[in-house]
Amino acid sequence: MTTDSVPAGGDPRRLLSEVRGLARRVRVDQRVTWFALLVLATVTFVGIPFDWYFLVLRCVGDDAGCQFSRQGVLYYWPPALLLAYAAIAACYVRVARARGLGARVLPYALTGVALTVLFTAAWVAARLYFPSHPQTAPLPYWVLVLDRLVAPWGTIGVALLVLARLERNVALLVFTLGYLTVALVPIDFGWHWQGQDGTVFLPQQIINGTVLLLGAIGFALAGRRRR
Amino acid sequence: MTAETGAPDPQEAASHPVTGLDEVVHQRVRLGILTIAHEARRAEFGYLRTQLDLTAGNLSKHLSVLEAAGLIEVEKGYAGKRGRTWITLTAAGDTALADEIARLKLLIARVETTDTLEGR
Repeated sequence: MTTDSVPAGGDPRRLLSEVRGLARRVRVDQRVTWFALLVLATVTFVGIPFDWYFLVLRCVGDDAGCQFSRQGVLYYWPPALLLAYAAIAACYVRVARARGLGARVLPYALTGVALTVLFTAAWVAARLYFPSHPQTAPLPYWVLVLDRLVAPWGTIGVALLVLARLERNVALLVFTLGYLTVALVPIDFGWHWQGQDGTVFLPQQIINGTVLLLGAIGFALAGRRRR
Repeated sequence: MTAETGAPDPQEAASHPVTGLDEVVHQRVRLGILTIAHEARRAEFGYLRTQLDLTAGNLSKHLSVLEAAGLIEVEKGYAGKRGRTWITLTAAGDTALADEIARLKLLIARVETTDTLEGR
């Protein structure tokens, strides 16, 4: 940049390209993507024992299937997610300030909080509805996908889409779409041990947490290389 | 321009994007300051100086021009014992930046149209 005035007939293309370049640099300097993913991965891993310990499983017969209530999810995830979004927002503001910038993380944190409220309401409603309306047939596939989308692991992905938009972060967008695919499409390698169906939900959570952790490592390494 | 006489068309001249450019904003450093302040919500003096590769005195002069025009607000504070100056875009600054970018895009479109016509 120089301090010369731009002549009226100057090169507007170059000027616009410089403006875009500066805007891009600011957005990159505002990012702490690895921290957000690390917090979410930690929250996911810590939530696994809660889900396992508080899982109420009622199996009627050998083939009749089981009824389950994942109470641990309701006990653990709402406060954990709220704390996670608060921590992420605080870190973004702190890091951006240290770099001499303001932060643009608030819409992400608010989306996260709103989705946490939505998930809690949906799960409480389901918990009240299903005991008095037992399902005789399997639920349609779209209901199961919707259920996974409003579950904590799904809402994490939806909120990350907002963060990718705020940061104009294409890498985060691609990562989030991959994460959402993993979170919404059940992966079942038949890992759960025989006779211990209480562990049936654990592999998916381990996968979700691992994807988030790998994302955190990847973004941290990419950020380090850029600096 | 009219094809018959070669005299400037007053309507076209009045609507040409160059005529609407704001001299305060249409300057590379000041446009850079406004862009950074817009993207960052608020930017620190040191960050602007590094990104725009300016001396402190030079940057201060440009900030004064923008502040006098009401396009930015300058806030001085402390981080520990270190003094820090933060720059925030005002609503007028936001509008001025959007107008400038719109006019630049218009100018590019005009230049491209003219180039195409001259190439025929």
